[in-house]
Amino acid sequence: MPLVELNDFSFKYYGAESLALKKIDLTIEEGEYVVITGPSGCGKTTLCRTINALVPQFHRGYISGNVIIDGKNTREHTVAELSSIAGLVFQEPENQLVTLNVEKEIAFGPENLGVEPSEIRRRVEEIIQLLDIEHLREKHPHEMSGGEQQRVAMAATLALKPKILVADEPTSNLDPQSAEVILDIISSLNKRDMTVILVEHRLDLVSKDASRIVLMDKGRIVADGPPREILAQDICQEIGIGVPKATLVYKRLKEQHGIDLGSIPLTGDELAGLVKEASS
Amino acid sequence: MSFLEVFQYTRQDSIVHRLDPRAKLLLSIVLAVISLLFLEIFPLLIIICVLIPMMTAAKSLKRWLRSMKGLSILLVFILIFNTLLSTYPNPLNYSIALILRLIALMTSFSIFFLTVPPDELSQALIQMRVKFEFAFAMSMAMRYVPTLGQEAYAIMDTQKARGVELDKGNILTRIRNIVPIIVPLIIVSIRRALSIAESMESRGFGASKNRTYMEKLSFQKRDWAVCIISLVVLIIVIYIRLNIPLPDWSIPF
Repeated sequence: MPLVELNDFSFKYYGAESLALKKIDLTIEEGEYVVITGPSGCGKTTLCRTINALVPQFHRGYISGNVIIDGKNTREHTVAELSSIAGLVFQEPENQLVTLNVEKEIAFGPENLGVEPSEIRRRVEEIIQLLDIEHLREKHPHEMSGGEQQRVAMAATLALKPKILVADEPTSNLDPQSAEVILDIISSLNKRDMTVILVEHRLDLVSKDASRIVLMDKGRIVADGPPREILAQDICQEIGIGVPKATLVYKRLKEQHGIDLGSIPLTGDELAGLVKEASS
Repeated sequence: MSFLEVFQYTRQDSIVHRLDPRAKLLLSIVLAVISLLFLEIFPLLIIICVLIPMMTAAKSLKRWLRSMKGLSILLVFILIFNTLLSTYPNPLNYSIALILRLIALMTSFSIFFLTVPPDELSQALIQMRVKFEFAFAMSMAMRYVPTLGQEAYAIMDTQKARGVELDKGNILTRIRNIVPIIVPLIIVSIRRALSIAESMESRGFGASKNRTYMEKLSFQKRDWAVCIISLVVLIIVIYIRLNIPLPDWSIPF
């Protein structure tokens, strides 16, 4: 049974002019690393919200179709019930930190669900180890940088032991170095069998780790498949997403100069390797 | 406003900081009540002499002295006006007592506010049967004060860059100038509130009727000792106040 299943799902926010999501069909299996990308306002955020039932439970609107998360229909289950299945990390780190220190922040979710105190303590220690935030333990949210705040926000989400980690542009307010740290953490979580759904614009950083890219435009899914296949398609440039430079070089060589490198590179290293192979 | 510093929590590791907030609350209230029981110079001096070592134990004597320095202008005012305008037989004596009482009261409460971290305060409230939602709202308000302040400064800078002259003109124009700061600030805050709500909702806020707490405050022996001593002292002092006439030492002015 797939972990995430959207069947012909459409959604319109109250007061909005047009549909935010139009007839979305999407299934995601356990262990996948799905990167969702597309221009602003294409419905990526709304799609993330459907996965833990914020749509339609918190953001009301008109819906058709069904979303089944781990066997639970989001029309019938509350956000809280789904919080230990799908954990969301949002764009703005500052708004996700609601308590006065990091330990309390990580404990906040499990406390809400009524987990045993000894078990909460165990999880807090485990996650502090996992994300390497020991030095932040006693800090007030205001004393941390954006990257540190986002790491703590992710820790707080992981404390609920979700099966799926949904991250909605977690790096958009961060400097490149902190962004890379966050993305590294996400990909290492995926290697530990966590299903990851990530909304991200910096495809050059994530496409090498992703198992699948979903391309969205105007509320629809326009392309869906392995990164190498999707990024080589012309539609990426038509919509205007950030295709990795290496892939662009590959395409230009093929189309304008008639040189086929054999396979599609995603990173500079891969491209260099292919060129070396071709020239020798 | 530097005298308010003495009511602001400072992170320290001292014996007073480690006490249970509930014990400290009782201690502060008892000290304040005792200060209010007397309006004679001598007993108030004794109270202050008891309070100063407590401040030292909280490693905050410097801070206290700084606050008192900030307060001194106000104290001088009280002294002068009361001495000149009061109808009491010994006005100077009375004014000095008033000043001492103010200092004693402030210090008593500052022992509580200076040494109780905000998150412990909300936990103490919860364990004193205040509803979790209220206690949490309070701790969240404290959490977002610096964020809001930062935002207000950012908006002020933006508006200045667009030519709003915030510190020019008479009082009326200045008041009118607040509007372009307040309106965006409110809008931004409402948006932020929605986004915070979304994040809290995703982490199961209010999901379980039986919310657990990772760390509960528990009364140690020293906390009981503080409570018992406070109450005993309070009873003794009330007894003295009611039954034993105080010697009539006062400055004859």
